[in-house]
Amino acid sequence: MTLKYENVSFTYPGATTGIFDISLEIDKGELLAIIGASGSGKSTILKLLAGFVSPDHGRIVIDGKDVSALSPESRRLGVVFQNYALFPHMRLWENVAYPLKVRGVARSERHARAVEMLDRVGMKSRADDLPAALSGGQQQRVALARALVFEPQGLLLDEPLSALDASLRVEMRDEILRVQRASGIATLLVTHDQEEALSIADKIAVMRDGRLIQIGTPRELYETPANAYVAGFVGQSNLWQGKVRSDGMVDTEIGAFACDTQGHSSGDAVTVFVRPERVLPAAAGGEGQDAGGDRPASHFSGAVDADRYLGPIRRIDLKVPGGLIRLETHLRDAVTSVRVPADAIRLLPAHRSQTGVFP
Amino acid sequence: MPIVAIAYFLFLFAPVLLLALGSFGESWSNTLLPTGFTWRWYEEVASDPSFRRAFVTSLQIVGLTCVLNVLVGLPLAYAIQVGAKGGVRLATRLVTLLPVAVPDLVLAFGFILVFSSDQLPWLGSFWLLAAGHLVLTLPYTVTALVADMEQLRLDEYEHAAATLGAPFLARIRDIVFPLLGPSLVSSMLTVAALSIGEFQLSNLIAGFLSRPYPVVLLQAFYGATGFACAATIVLLVLAAIASLASSLTSRLSNNKKAAAA
Amino acid sequence: MSVRASRKALAAFALPGCITLGLFFLLPVGTVMTGALTDGGAFVRLVNDPVFWNGLKGTLILGTAAPLFSLVVGFCIALTLNRLAPKAKTAALIAISLPLTFSGLIVAYGFILLVGRAGFVTLLLAELGFDPAVVGGFIFSPFGLGLAYSYYLVPRVVLIVLPAIGNFDRNQLIAARSLGAGAGRAMIDVMLPQIAPSLVAAFCLTSAVAVGAYGTALALVGTQVNILPLVLYSKISETGTDLPAASAASLVLIAICVLIISLGEAVGRKGSTSRARG
Repeated sequence: MTLKYENVSFTYPGATTGIFDISLEIDKGELLAIIGASGSGKSTILKLLAGFVSPDHGRIVIDGKDVSALSPESRRLGVVFQNYALFPHMRLWENVAYPLKVRGVARSERHARAVEMLDRVGMKSRADDLPAALSGGQQQRVALARALVFEPQGLLLDEPLSALDASLRVEMRDEILRVQRASGIATLLVTHDQEEALSIADKIAVMRDGRLIQIGTPRELYETPANAYVAGFVGQSNLWQGKVRSDGMVDTEIGAFACDTQGHSSGDAVTVFVRPERVLPAAAGGEGQDAGGDRPASHFSGAVDADRYLGPIRRIDLKVPGGLIRLETHLRDAVTSVRVPADAIRLLPAHRSQTGVFP
Repeated sequence: MPIVAIAYFLFLFAPVLLLALGSFGESWSNTLLPTGFTWRWYEEVASDPSFRRAFVTSLQIVGLTCVLNVLVGLPLAYAIQVGAKGGVRLATRLVTLLPVAVPDLVLAFGFILVFSSDQLPWLGSFWLLAAGHLVLTLPYTVTALVADMEQLRLDEYEHAAATLGAPFLARIRDIVFPLLGPSLVSSMLTVAALSIGEFQLSNLIAGFLSRPYPVVLLQAFYGATGFACAATIVLLVLAAIASLASSLTSRLSNNKKAAAA
Repeated sequence: MSVRASRKALAAFALPGCITLGLFFLLPVGTVMTGALTDGGAFVRLVNDPVFWNGLKGTLILGTAAPLFSLVVGFCIALTLNRLAPKAKTAALIAISLPLTFSGLIVAYGFILLVGRAGFVTLLLAELGFDPAVVGGFIFSPFGLGLAYSYYLVPRVVLIVLPAIGNFDRNQLIAARSLGAGAGRAMIDVMLPQIAPSLVAAFCLTSAVAVGAYGTALALVGTQVNILPLVLYSKISETGTDLPAASAASLVLIAICVLIISLGEAVGRKGSTSRARG
């Protein structure tokens, strides 16, 4: 049972916002997260699949069947809403049993199945309570049970953790993953929280201005972002504008980097991208050993602009002539000089300052 | 400021208090307060045939007005809230403003002109009176229900029910009615309170045999003070009960809403 | 378009309401209007009628004095209520809202007992040497009528103004005073501008209600006081009357109300609290 978008476009009536030419596929048992800033169109993706809006172009396909014209009630998809939308006038078991009720399941059977489902999310003991008596996390569990009890063809999660306290989020994240894995269901998660997506998704799709700009595993996204926007949106990053000088060398406003320039010819404008944890402190003036393969590391010296102590690591901004280098280190020593191994550097397409790294 | 507020509450209750005292007073003429105590005035009101008939007529009109408000106002409010777009919203706003912009008196005049014609000879009938009460209370019903639908976030619950497989009629039955019930009851109680006291339209369009209570009450003002007080108190108590019941149901449902949020 | 209901279903839902409003509101009002406009002489006869001008004058006085008085009183009450504990506030609001559903007749007879020619207050003041004829006569003037009207206008003011006061951040007053403004000064400079739209809205709504109502006035004084609705009422209820002239008078009444309402809408009102009239 796969969920599929085929070249789907949709714009809101009387507006220019929407989504454009989206193709996506979520396989059985797979959890795909869609991330993006607010207004990027990620919620529209969910609405299209759930059936709250119909595509202007393209098709929505569930399990090989075109459902683009079907109403939400005919699509058999479980949706967990941002505010959970538990019916306030129904007891918890009645909430969970509701999809069974509208499908004509007899009362005793639907009670039994609802209670069993509540048991799976650890809420069996509260089956006779009303939703108002529950905390946010508990409502979340019930909403999950309600979305899964009728064995839907897919599970849709709309910012499921945004209404919860930070401390509860990690716990609920694991809970969602556990339940999702247990039911082996194709799942779409919409979130603005990149950490949430990285930690539980099998695949992540990054949206921007209604378009899909990269889709890949969390690791692919983090280590080989397609462009500066993805690099800046997922995790922390250093991004410098530069120009390829010659094979193996790139000039930037903070100096030259030695790195792999394959695929670029000299004179090309590029963005040099380095994750802060890949920037290594070096002894002042010393020639640290270069473990980064056959190319030498690039060295920079400067003064500490900001030094943030975060417990396990420190996040340091090092002011060097021409700009700033961000690094993360677990070392406690003073840092005045750093090196960037060649294999830590990736060259991305040149961009105009959008991520705020440069003024 | 508190002095003004206290003075206002005196101002609010003084007329009601005097009406109550007067209705039990044996006689009241050119004295500060009535003298003596009697149930006589209430007995007289209760045994007066035109008051009895008017009382029954009023209850029938109130009942019918509430039923019609549910049948006509609830679907209209739902259609407005679901279909709400710029234009529809503006139209709704106009509908709620029209009754204030067009005085009851003018509407009554219009009724006289239109419904005394040969094509629509309905003037003086019980049904036309009910229709008049419906038109006067409908804007209130629609405004109150639309506001409550927004506050209840009815759309979210209906969307959730749709994804769970509930078709339109099941959603109306299982979600819309149960959730909207308390505010519907509260609105209808207010409609009842408004309808029972309605005078300005009824006075001009009611037929002699279908005069509602307030229209007959006006005649009593020219008679004995005690009788007029007792007859007024009857109307006041009915309106107050309906109004208080409305406030209480709306408070109850508000508390529920607050707890659910 | 909407998932909640199809276009057809919504149209069917709206149909009974549209028929009701069309047949029992638009048709009668439209008939009154065409009645006034098709007879070219109707307005001329109206303008030449001194009774009309007296009524117009009385209505303009009533339509200004009553809402103004109600606005001042209602504003003070809203300020006081805003400081009460939630439970006391709720109870007070329920009590204040009661007159909204009261028939104008109840108010009328209550005021006859209170300040009529042999009313409680009138006799009380007579003990102190005030002439009962003068005191008792007050209620039959446009200003006296305004006092009686304020009985159900003040609640409307409170219901409109209270939310605006509740939303106002009182820390701004403290801030203004810490900057050196006196208490009264702070209120005028900081609070009033922010709640002004709701005050205007309240004034316009109550003014339109005061201009259009006739029940209380009729019950208090018969058709003896010169206000436009009573002039119109006697035209309508007398047989063999000049109906086109009555239509013309209706049109003037509607025009005044529409003008006031539009003013209120233009200034922009927040939070609609429009209940039907009593």
